[in-house]
Amino acid sequence: MTRSSWVETSLSEVPKTSHDLSLSYLSPDARLAILTDYTEHRTRVLRGEPLGLDPARFPNQPWLAPAARGLRRCPPDEDVRGYGIFTFPYGPVTGGVPEAVRFDVRTYGERILELTPVTGFKRRGVLAGIAGLPLPDAALRVERMVGNLSAAHVTAFLTAAESARGLPVPERELWTRALALELQRIYNHLHAVARVAESAAQSVGQAQVHALSEEVLRLAGWAFGHRWLFGALLPGGPDRRLEPSDRRTIGTRIARISADFQTLWDLLSHTRIFVDRIQGTSPIPRREAIRWGAVGPTLRASSVGWDDRVHAPIPPYTDLFVAVPQGIDGDALDRIAVRVGEIQSSTLAIEQILDRWPAASGEIPPEPCVEAHRGIARVEGPNGDLIYDVTMQGDRVAGASCRSASEANLPLLALGSRQSVFTDFSFAWESFGFVIAEVDR
Amino acid sequence: MSTWIQQAVARGRLTTRFPWAPPNEEEAPITAHAPEVPPPATRTLPLAAPVCPTGAIESEGVRQGACIRCARCLSHGLTPTGPVDLMASSIALLRSPSGLRHEPPSVRSPSPGFRRSLHVFLIDVGSCNACNREALGLANPYYDSQRLGIFFTNSPRHADVLLVVGIPTREMLPSLSRTYEAMPGPKAVVAIGACALEGGIFHGNPHAALPLSDHVPVDAYVPGCPPPPLAILSALWRVMRGPPSREGP
Ligand code: SF4
Ligand code: SF4
Repeated sequence: MTRSSWVETSLSEVPKTSHDLSLSYLSPDARLAILTDYTEHRTRVLRGEPLGLDPARFPNQPWLAPAARGLRRCPPDEDVRGYGIFTFPYGPVTGGVPEAVRFDVRTYGERILELTPVTGFKRRGVLAGIAGLPLPDAALRVERMVGNLSAAHVTAFLTAAESARGLPVPERELWTRALALELQRIYNHLHAVARVAESAAQSVGQAQVHALSEEVLRLAGWAFGHRWLFGALLPGGPDRRLEPSDRRTIGTRIARISADFQTLWDLLSHTRIFVDRIQGTSPIPRREAIRWGAVGPTLRASSVGWDDRVHAPIPPYTDLFVAVPQGIDGDALDRIAVRVGEIQSSTLAIEQILDRWPAASGEIPPEPCVEAHRGIARVEGPNGDLIYDVTMQGDRVAGASCRSASEANLPLLALGSRQSVFTDFSFAWESFGFVIAEVDR
Repeated sequence: MSTWIQQAVARGRLTTRFPWAPPNEEEAPITAHAPEVPPPATRTLPLAAPVCPTGAIESEGVRQGACIRCARCLSHGLTPTGPVDLMASSIALLRSPSGLRHEPPSVRSPSPGFRRSLHVFLIDVGSCNACNREALGLANPYYDSQRLGIFFTNSPRHADVLLVVGIPTREMLPSLSRTYEAMPGPKAVVAIGACALEGGIFHGNPHAALPLSDHVPVDAYVPGCPPPPLAILSALWRVMRGPPSREGP
């Protein structure tokens, strides 16, 4: 089936769809250029400077968001001092955020003047620790680095490693990765919606959406042998032939979950208290999203239609149609609405993947490498653009580094929280979907 | 509002019957168990030991707490254990992190103070986030821990149980002790996941300060990577009430 026939038949109902085909795919050379910028950007963000990307030229320029460790600062609007202004640390152990991270909050009463996320509490040195390991052993650690995004991290890591080695990849493995990735995207988006509903005290709504995310986990457990897909994508793992009956089961179950979710979302989005809490919360204007190098649903909510699955696709996304929902205001409501749209678009992607599941496992040449023994891969994970840079020595990993979606977006939390009240913090946090395990890795 | 209720009713009863009846296959996936040695073939252990990425295979058996259920040893003579019997078996709860399969489990000090309800505070000391999500998932309608009187709380000052997930990093140690001290007594600590028990796939990590029991007194250990939600629920239930009984409430 061709791209256009997918547009006509299945996508008429996807809300806020924009599929901007004018953006060109990135060539491997462009990726190398990105990498040079990348180091510079890292330093700039450490100094608290935005990337200074020019929104007028975006997105026809190759671009990349920064990565930095330690303090992520966003300079305050003005240097306010005076009676009643104080700074307090929130975290690293809080009831509201179930991961270890601290926020230094400068506040005047309820209002947040400046918020600085401080990370590094749960750093395990995973990527440093995999140097010297054979590829399957390294992948075993990468998937356990960020459990709820394991499919995205393993896919990006393996794609980069395969490109560095220059060996062909079994075709069915690529399709298995895409299936796992889309399942995990649906799970994470459901989880984000449920958490925001929870913060807004929508107890029935959050329970029902949480139940759906549990159903996705069970489906993953049934299809891949592990609820969090650990071990499912390892090189040399089981070849998934997926009999037609298995594919039917996966397709029907995911379509049902997606349809049930739409019914719940219709109810949620018509609940005034829910919408009031997230509308206008933590807005990220388009211009700021681009200047700071936001990625994923956060970027798309600020009405930039960039999605690696469309604009820098790895196989099999080169053959799939993926809808890219966008927001307008870039507030918490838009970030959630983009995720809601993506649950539908991932359901359609899964439908296509199952439809066209390769009957025989042929081999596909790897992505071209940027340098001898060094490969770079970009994958659109549930939270956005994920980049791995892997150097191989024979079949062993010589070194690996990564720029995760959460670290690219973390400065935006600081920006969006400015001038908001502290009670809105949990809506902001959950709508961005941060995963600290991929920042402190 | 009525539409919400219609929705919930239309979806029917989702909640597990556990602990009043054994869990079904989907509720207790096979990954809950570490592989075991087929009875006459203890000599296969040295053959399987080199493929194990966590060093969990020893001459007497598989160390439950260290095993991450990666299934590599299955092609080297070990066999998967059958469906989990969370009602009776030792699996949900180990007295020591290194417990072998045949060691009987026990809870350090089942406290009479927890009879009616249990408030649980989750602390992440270096996890991959999967353990966190499995634990907090106990509140969803499929497990509905509230029906058993088990609640998650947002403050350690209201907590009876500290649920520890992840490999304890040095940066988190002060916060871990402070959180434990902030809890009123009687209190218990339950460690869940291979990372918190023996480091799991990250054993020997220089950023980690294992064992956990050097920093807080641990009452129970739940193995798995991550442990299935019912194993966590079963552990909390035992801390609260002792071993689950097959009779109804
Ligand atoms: S960690 Fe893997 S190889 Fe080792 S005992 Fe467990 S399942 Fe077997
Ligand atoms: S035990 Fe496994 S699932 Fe739990 S935190 Fe460690 S790696 Fe993640």
